[in-house]
Amino acid sequence: MEIMNRYKVIIAVVLPVLILVLFRSFGTNHFKNDFRKWAEPSLTRTNIITIEQAPSLTGNRLLICLDTNVIGLTSLAQESQNVPPDSILTKKYFNIIRKHSGPVLLYSSGNDVSGRIWMVLSQMGCTNIYILTSNTDNEVFKNKFRPDTLI
Amino acid sequence: MNTREKFSAGLLCLGLILALLPDPANRSLTVKPQKLLNEVLNGKTSYSVDQVAGFIVSGDSSVLIIDLRTPEEFRNLNIPGSVNVPYNVLLNNDPAIYLNNDKTNIIFYSNGDFDSDYALAIARGMDYKNTFVMKGGLNEWFNTVMNSRFTGTRISARENALFETRTKAGKMFTAINSLPDSLKLKFIRSKLTAAKKLDGGCE
Repeated sequence: MEIMNRYKVIIAVVLPVLILVLFRSFGTNHFKNDFRKWAEPSLTRTNIITIEQAPSLTGNRLLICLDTNVIGLTSLAQESQNVPPDSILTKKYFNIIRKHSGPVLLYSSGNDVSGRIWMVLSQMGCTNIYILTSNTDNEVFKNKFRPDTLI
Repeated sequence: MNTREKFSAGLLCLGLILALLPDPANRSLTVKPQKLLNEVLNGKTSYSVDQVAGFIVSGDSSVLIIDLRTPEEFRNLNIPGSVNVPYNVLLNNDPAIYLNNDKTNIIFYSNGDFDSDYALAIARGMDYKNTFVMKGGLNEWFNTVMNSRFTGTRISARENALFETRTKAGKMFTAINSLPDSLKLKFIRSKLTAAKKLDGGCE
């Protein structure tokens, strides 16, 4: 008790900082440190999976449909959930994703929605999340350029 | 506690706080997750290829177009006036080097959507509100701008303006990408000078 009284000023300063750091480190409602580490699968493109490849993912697959009325995709996963994109971080849906033990497949008809949501979830520390697409060549240049030979 | 002890304790606290602070090199996104989600999901973060074509044709200096593809891809083809910052380079360096300019609207593009969308999410997560994407990437640029054809018999004024912008942007794209690398920069400068002369008016 005497030590507590003696160092009360120090404790008063250090303790809140310590609590804040611990809260920041272990809280689930924040972005994790080192954004590069969490974005790594986007560099290697291991975060994109096609409809044909999806059944090869081991574990209990959870399909997150970011569009309503997705027909024919529910057979790809043992569980599926329709989630409005802007509600994905609500406690209900975020906990479903975070606590799911197997791969989570994000699907939207426009790749931009699933791509952006993938990055947000990854930066929050969610792993084993994949973007489900109909093909993996989205980042392949598909056109032919004809140079002007008169220039 | 005497003064020396207080001073020592203060230093100890300072050291402890510094030790607990995260490494700035390993920083995280700074905005609130829900705020970031709302930002990236609203349509205001995307420009259409027609809008980007308009910026290029008008020589809008308030826009910086960043090509996220590899240097090889950039050398082969690029949108006039764009600069090459490959996605892996953007990630592996401090993004502030490229994005810390709030007077310029930065537009990311890649071949498709993914790389530019990832870059957007990271940039917006670091509170760079001046970052946008060109929706559909270079593939959409080709589909809309380069392969633009008018097949009807009547054309409205709005359609005509759009078609004209696409044609001009397409010609600029073809002209600059038909040049050898060494001449591309000179070409951009000469185009800007020519445009100024045509505009006329006082300097």
